[in-house]
Amino acid sequence: MYYQIAGHTFTSRLLTGTGKFQSASVMQQSLLASDTELVTMALRRVDLVAQQDEILPVLTALGVKLLPNTSGARTAEEAVFVAELAREALQTNWLKLEIHPDPRYLLPDPIETLKAAELLVAKGFVVLPYCGADPVLCKRLEEAGCAAVMPLGAPIGSNQGLQTRDFLRIIIEQSRVPVIVDAGIGAPSHAAEALELGASAVLVNTAIASAADPIAMAKAFKLACEAGALAHYAGLATRQQQAVASSPLTAFLESL
Amino acid sequence: MQIQFNQQPYQLVSPTTLATFLASQQQLRAGIAVAINQQVIPRSRWDIQPLKDGDTIQLFMAIAGG
Repeated sequence: MYYQIAGHTFTSRLLTGTGKFQSASVMQQSLLASDTELVTMALRRVDLVAQQDEILPVLTALGVKLLPNTSGARTAEEAVFVAELAREALQTNWLKLEIHPDPRYLLPDPIETLKAAELLVAKGFVVLPYCGADPVLCKRLEEAGCAAVMPLGAPIGSNQGLQTRDFLRIIIEQSRVPVIVDAGIGAPSHAAEALELGASAVLVNTAIASAADPIAMAKAFKLACEAGALAHYAGLATRQQQAVASSPLTAFLESL
Repeated sequence: MQIQFNQQPYQLVSPTTLATFLASQQQLRAGIAVAINQQVIPRSRWDIQPLKDGDTIQLFMAIAGG
């Protein structure tokens, strides 16, 4: 059961972030356990005084595809600048576009995001925008040429699950590009639910990296994603308001 | 000739290219990107990109993120 983004085939439904891990070694083992094929990174100005951990060699050794993000950008113009830096740094034109000017809730700016998406698509980037769970905005981003849309389940790092569930249903129903639920997924059951709803994939970072045992949690998310995608493929039974007996016991009782 | 490199002032005694300067600072490696005066310089041009008096060089690197 595979899916495609911009003609590239993925079998894993789990995208992972690389932030917040205690060490490069724990990150490496967690990514291995997660079976992820697409991982996010950020870009920052080099601190010439303090030593900074290099995680790129670890990711290169794992053979995963890299998805640099534009975190830190507050406007479309800044996002384009970060995107061009990311393309040079990682030699990929794939990009997770994220513009969130408000540090308290880290909610994406829809106007700047759409503006940046149009500019970046024109510059040849494969754009995956992090956005609010707004069906109209997701459609506009798709029409702008984005390769996927990444609506949020809840604020970044909040672990609140699919607070936007009803809107995600509409987005998934309408979208002709993959829908990747990003942000807020705090438990494997949340990831399974997103995939049961028909999302193509989920992106998880905090819930794995901040778990007591990140490696075990990465495996739990892998299994949940497999279960959720399989359940969607199998077709969930319809919800009923009243009980419906599993066996024809009622006829037997009536004959007594 | 004076330049700014990640907000630090540097004196250059002889004309130099971006690649030579980065190597002299032990910064020439994978996963980095450079902008001069807010213009991103493609890696393929680092060998020929001259540094000029007053240039502001910003060096970025890929780090962990979500």
